[in-house]
Amino acid sequence: MARITIDPITRIEGHLRIDVEVDNNAISNAWASCTMWRGIEKILRGRDPRDAWLFTQRFCGVCTTVHAMASVRAVEDALQLEIPLNAQYIRNLILIAHALHDHIVHFYQLSALDWVDVLQIPKADPAATSKLAESLSPWTGNSRLELKAAQDRVKAVAASGQLGIFQNGYWGHPAMHLSPDVNLLAFSHYVQALEYQRKALQVVGMLGSKTPHIQNLTVGGVANAIDLDTPGSLDMNRLEAIRILLDEVVRFVNEVYLVDVCAVAAMYPEWFKIGSGVKNYMAVPDLPLNGNGLAYDLPGGYIHAGDLAAVKTFQTAADPIFRQSVTEDVIHAYYQGDKPLHPWKGETEPQFTGWDGDKKYSWVKAPRFNGEPAQVGPLAQVLIGYAQGHPLTQKYTNAVIEKIAALGGPHATPAALHSTLGRHAARAIRACMLGELAHKHLQLLTENIAKGDYNVFNPPVFPDHEVEGVGTHEAPRGTLSHWIVIQDAKIKNYQAVVPSTWNASPRDGAGNHGPYEASLLGTPLARPEEPLEVLRTVHSFDPCMACACHAFDPSGRRIAQVKVL
Amino acid sequence: MKTVLIGGMGNVLLGDDGVGPYLLRLLASRYAFEKGVEIVDLGTPALDLLHRISKKGSVILIDSIDIGLPPGAVRLFTKQEIIRQGGSARLETHSPALTDTLLGAEFLGVCPEEVVLVGIQVESLEPGCTLSASVESALPRAMTETLHLLNRMGIKCHCRQEPEGSGIWWADAATPKSPLDLRGGAVPTTID
Repeated sequence: MARITIDPITRIEGHLRIDVEVDNNAISNAWASCTMWRGIEKILRGRDPRDAWLFTQRFCGVCTTVHAMASVRAVEDALQLEIPLNAQYIRNLILIAHALHDHIVHFYQLSALDWVDVLQIPKADPAATSKLAESLSPWTGNSRLELKAAQDRVKAVAASGQLGIFQNGYWGHPAMHLSPDVNLLAFSHYVQALEYQRKALQVVGMLGSKTPHIQNLTVGGVANAIDLDTPGSLDMNRLEAIRILLDEVVRFVNEVYLVDVCAVAAMYPEWFKIGSGVKNYMAVPDLPLNGNGLAYDLPGGYIHAGDLAAVKTFQTAADPIFRQSVTEDVIHAYYQGDKPLHPWKGETEPQFTGWDGDKKYSWVKAPRFNGEPAQVGPLAQVLIGYAQGHPLTQKYTNAVIEKIAALGGPHATPAALHSTLGRHAARAIRACMLGELAHKHLQLLTENIAKGDYNVFNPPVFPDHEVEGVGTHEAPRGTLSHWIVIQDAKIKNYQAVVPSTWNASPRDGAGNHGPYEASLLGTPLARPEEPLEVLRTVHSFDPCMACACHAFDPSGRRIAQVKVL
Repeated sequence: MKTVLIGGMGNVLLGDDGVGPYLLRLLASRYAFEKGVEIVDLGTPALDLLHRISKKGSVILIDSIDIGLPPGAVRLFTKQEIIRQGGSARLETHSPALTDTLLGAEFLGVCPEEVVLVGIQVESLEPGCTLSASVESALPRAMTETLHLLNRMGIKCHCRQEPEGSGIWWADAATPKSPLDLRGGAVPTTID
């Protein structure tokens, strides 16, 4: 039996460590751990709840927006404060644009090179690749010249002997098996994706005033001035500029991202059978359609043990079932405490004891739903929506399933989505759904303004007694919840239960693996000393550990260190 | 017109890691810059940094570093030095963002000619919104270094008669201090 340690495993905001035991070239046991500790919630105690979002959006440099949004929602929930329709739509548009940006970045910049072998690209024939591309998609960026330019860039890097940005890949690995032409096609989209994720970010900036770190939120609404007669405020010109940007991003998602995911899926069909793990899924409803958040465009609920027929529905973003069922367990995490605690009662007192797979081994707490681990993220949301008969989810899920089959891949069923490829497919499905909803919410905002409603803010009023609130957001990596206790208009307690703590959680007191860990069990490894397969599955969750745990890794290592013991 | 980005990087919730945004805001409160100079609190931008630096003429990034120097030491790094760090020990505390971003920008042919990192060695990265004394006392020197750097790059700026509000909103409410009270030395009032 061999033991492999990979540290760190994320391509952004590092600090995830994975240990696996390998028996007969397959993974027999796994541990996910985070090498940093968190304690930022402590900074919030005693502060004004109206300021919390400014601090929480500094948790991370990647998902700043989502923590800002969950924070204002938590305070509004505690105060039972409705927000104006304009504010709701503007927030939704920011969340959609942020998620589109994030999903595109994830597939191309953070995980595509687990499947695409860059060093095969010089062997490709740009003319043949262009022809292939035209048969797959109406995208106009697949010309021979465009593809040749991308190939020439790679050739120049390969010829220089310095791989630069590509120095850390497992090139030539036996688990890589796309043709040189398909490698080139996917890679040319890797380059183009940078342009389209920038456009999505521009929308966040236009509505949020600045990115990173939007400036337009406030407890009770938003601070965007709406005035059709004053240039510089949110007027029809600006709304039109946003529409044009969203059009371009949505076209990229439909004609490039979705097609590439289907092509990868068709050519790596074995990965529909690998990487399932925890089949409890959770998502919260999001994109509220009214001021009090009682109707939504994205569905939420819970699936237990993969039983889609018995799916539960969360009616609201702060559904009582959700509110009451979440706890965090620290038996295997470096914190004091011996029993699971509800986030409102949550404690964050460190107790570092060093890595010990039988005892404590991670700075991530183990969030549990009804005492069990749950997988969160686009796959959870898509399966829950599909099982509930949500039309938009079914439309794009069926489209992806058909496209994969049309490209020569397996005829997948929603059940086959319990897998590494299923997570990628679901993220692309969700991106398409968000693209359609982007236009809908821009239309809703435009129509509401046209009616003469310019209101963007309802002032908060703090009661004398203690109040509790939860703010949720179905973020790009899954269910995010901020839990706040307010007393005398000051923050008494604050806990953030973030998507990556659900997925990267260590074992709990009952010994249940977290989703990353469970998803790795049984995975075959072609070359244990180059564990590409581990990266494929862990990256399919879109790990980002900066907010799961905060702080700095004193070891200073930055490339993946693989140790075979 | 030369396009210049001056960016402060770091997490303002992690003690000395916030020195980049802190110094950036001090700089902007005291000095006015010519047109074409963009001053941005970048936080910990990861790969989005690429869009910020892409096609700029010059880029100055102010950030915390942790390379074993005495706390508060100020060190400048060129683009080549940052890239050379590549796969070895990390330089600034936001790798892989910076090294990977520069490598990516080079690959795409959009990397600025000139990139300089003004690094300040941290003492503590414990969660909190206060700089440690060693890093706080390094602020005047780091600012002077930055101003000299701007001068060498031919970027004009002048000292404001009255400093504007610095906007260091995160500074710990429990221990208020004037962000303009720079301990440990004078800062140039004019640079051109």
